[in-house]
Amino acid sequence: MSTQTKQPVIVERTYKATLADIWALWTTKAGFESWWGPQGFRADVHAIEPKVGGALRYDMVADSPEMIEAMKKMGRPPSHPTTARFTELSPETHLVITNVIDFLPGVAIYESTITVDLTAKGDRVQMVVILSPMHSDEMGQMQKEGFTSQLTKLDRFA
Amino acid sequence: MFMQLDVFKTLADPTRRRIVEVLRDGEKQVNEVVEKAGIHQSGVSRHLRILLEAGFVNVRPDGQRRYYGLRPEPFRELESWLDRYKRLWDERLDRFGAALEKKQKKGRQS
Repeated sequence: MSTQTKQPVIVERTYKATLADIWALWTTKAGFESWWGPQGFRADVHAIEPKVGGALRYDMVADSPEMIEAMKKMGRPPSHPTTARFTELSPETHLVITNVIDFLPGVAIYESTITVDLTAKGDRVQMVVILSPMHSDEMGQMQKEGFTSQLTKLDRFA
Repeated sequence: MFMQLDVFKTLADPTRRRIVEVLRDGEKQVNEVVEKAGIHQSGVSRHLRILLEAGFVNVRPDGQRRYYGLRPEPFRELESWLDRYKRLWDERLDRFGAALEKKQKKGRQS
């Protein structure tokens, strides 16, 4: 049994590419839209400002007939706006995207982060992506603020 | 790709995570949880009740004593969500690689 709830998910890839090319895929509208997805979705980027504190706003839009149908069945809209910020950034080597998760019912707004580190190795670039999908301890205060609503919700099932 | 909200909501609270950590080495009575987690009794009782209702914890009465222990199901659910999340990112980075190649080809042509 595992309770590794705070441990991040790490994905790592090495590409034959330049730092500039990889950086562009993370920090330009065309670049970001070309791969973000996820499967069955496309991202429509409204703002992408690669600087510390800069905005990253996009809609996640169901993009295949199957996904549109699936979203309908789940009673979800086919498009979901996402608000994020670049909270750390060193050109072509490091960035942190902080997502504001504001769509979980009964949960206070919290943030999840995507950390990207790029290292040039000869004609290749190693890309390490660290994902923290869970609430972090630093957000404890906000969780407490949202806790009452969770408690009320849980009480209803009692 | 949508997470199991209840599992996440339950573990969103650091006090509950602390209690879960303490119960990892086996079932315990409330006073043992209080002692090991360093949390006030009223807090422990309240959070244990929430963990019970959410299915994270079960209780085994033994005479006057009540032992609280972890149930594996929600943790399996969480792990399976994390697996799916990991897969989503694996696929995403496959597309990243494909997009990169496309970009490079385009760059060479122009």
